[in-house]
Amino acid sequence: MPDETTAVATPPHLQLVNVWKRFGEAPKQTVAVRNVDLSIEPGAFVTLIGPSGCGKSTLFSMISGLLPPDSDGSLLLNGKVQQDGALLGKIAFMPQRDLLFPWRTVLDNATLALEVEGMPRRRARAKAEALFPEFGLGGFEQHYPHQLSGGMRQRVALMRTFLFERDLILLDEPFGALDALTRSMMQRWLLDIWAKHRRTVLFITHDIDEAIFLGDKVVVMTARPGTIKCEEAITLPRPRDLGVVTTPEFMAVKKKLLAVVEEESLKTFAAASP
Amino acid sequence: MAYGLRFIRSAWPVASALALLLLLWQFGAAALDIPTYILPRPAEIFVTAIAKWPLLGDALTVTLIEAVGGFLLGAAIGIVLAVLMILVPPLEALLMPIAVVINAVPSIAFVPLVLLWFGLGMESKIAIGALAVVLVVLLNLLAGLKRPEADAINLMRSFGAGRIGILWRLQLPAAMPGLVTGLRVGLARSTIAVIVAEMMGAYSGIGQVIYQATGQVDYLTVWAAVFVASLGSLALYGVLVAIDRKLVWWR
Repeated sequence: MPDETTAVATPPHLQLVNVWKRFGEAPKQTVAVRNVDLSIEPGAFVTLIGPSGCGKSTLFSMISGLLPPDSDGSLLLNGKVQQDGALLGKIAFMPQRDLLFPWRTVLDNATLALEVEGMPRRRARAKAEALFPEFGLGGFEQHYPHQLSGGMRQRVALMRTFLFERDLILLDEPFGALDALTRSMMQRWLLDIWAKHRRTVLFITHDIDEAIFLGDKVVVMTARPGTIKCEEAITLPRPRDLGVVTTPEFMAVKKKLLAVVEEESLKTFAAASP
Repeated sequence: MAYGLRFIRSAWPVASALALLLLLWQFGAAALDIPTYILPRPAEIFVTAIAKWPLLGDALTVTLIEAVGGFLLGAAIGIVLAVLMILVPPLEALLMPIAVVINAVPSIAFVPLVLLWFGLGMESKIAIGALAVVLVVLLNLLAGLKRPEADAINLMRSFGAGRIGILWRLQLPAAMPGLVTGLRVGLARSTIAVIVAEMMGAYSGIGQVIYQATGQVDYLTVWAAVFVASLGSLALYGVLVAIDRKLVWWR
C-alpha cells in the first residue's frame, strides 16, 4: 500500500475515476462498465480478472483511447485528465490476438509502431534487431508470421508493443490462446522482460494462477455490468519462479480470489439461463 | 537465371496441355472425317498464320496496344476511385449506384456510342477497354480495402496512426490480393471488349481482320486470327502473373 504522502508527490500512473460505458439509448440501454475506480502506481504490474463478458475489453478500449468513456467519469494519465481520443498514441496496447500483418516480415511487424511514429525504417530496424535475442526470436527476423508458432507470434506482438516505447503497457489476455506449457514459460519470460524494462503493466486474464503469479496487485471485476469487486495486493517476493505457485501464501490468495471469481461467474451464468 | 528456370517450370504444364489439345484436334478431326471447311486442321491454320503474318502481326500489335492501353487507363481510374471512396465514404454512397447502373449493361453495348464519340481509331477501343475494366478493379479493390477487421484498425489507431497511415500501412497491403483478382479479370475483359469493338468498326486490329475475313468467307484466316489473338492474350496473362508475384509477395 503506498502511503498518502508519496501518493501526493507522484500521482498514480493511471487513474480511473467513476468510469462508465453505456451502449444504446434509455429503454434498451446496456451498461458494459459501471463506476470503475482504479489507480495504478508507476512501475506496477497490475492484473485484472473477471468472468467472461464482464466488460474487461471495453475498459481496455477506453484506457487505450479507442472508445471514449461516458462523460460522468474521467481518466487521468500522470495526474492529467485525458479528453476523448487524447490517449491514442500514448499507451502501448496489445490486443488479444497478435494481429501480425502477413505481408510484413517478423522484423517489419516489430517496427510497425515506430514507423507510424515516423522513425526512418533503417533506424527502426536497427532498434528492433537489438531486441530479437532477448525476445527469443534471434534468426527469425526475415521470416513471415505464418512460419512461426503461436508462442513466437505472441512474442513478436509483445516486441511490437515494447518497441512502442510508452510507460504504460496494456496487455489483453496475451497468452490466452497458448497451451499451458508455453504459457507458463511466457509468463516467466514476461516477468524477466518487465524487471529489465520497468514499465507499468496492466494485464487482463481470466486465469487466476496467472493473475497472482504475475501481479503486484490483482483486481477482480464483477459480472456485467462490470465494476471493480475487490483488489488484492500480492506480496509474494520477486523474482518469482515456478515453485511459488505451490507455496501456502500463493494458495491462500488463490483460495480467496477463487471464491470471489466463482461468485461472479455464477451470476453471469444465472443471468444467461432463463 | 533462377527466374528463367521458374518460368519454364510454371509454363511447361500450359505448353504441354496446349500441345496435347492441338494433337487431338489434328488427328481426331481427320479420324472423324470432319470436312476441313467446317473445322480446319491446326497445321493448316499454322501455315495460314505464317503466310498472313504481315497482316496478322500488324493487327495484333494494334489490338494489344488498345487492350493494354484500355486496361491501364481503366485500372488507374478504378484504383483512384476506390481509394477516394475509402477516404471519403460519402463518395461511395454517391457514386456506387451510378457505377452499378453502368455495369448492369455489358460494356459492348456502348460500342456504337463510343465509336460515334471517339471515331474508328484506337481512341474508341481504348475507351471501351477502360470502361470494361474500371468497375471490376474498383469493386475488387474496394472489397480488399475494407477487409482489415476493426481490431487491426484499432491497433493502428492506438499507435497514433491517422487515416492516411492506416490506408498506407494496413488497408492497401491487405487489398493487394483483391486488386490482383480485379486486374486479372479486368485484363481479360479489356481484350474481349477491344476485339468486339474492332469487329464493329475499326481501321485495323484482330477484330477487324476477323470481320473482313468472315465477309470474304475466308475461314482459315479467321482461325489464324483467333489463334494469334489467343497467343497475344496468353503473353499478356504471363506479364500479369509476374506482376501478381510482385504485389502479393508474401504468399
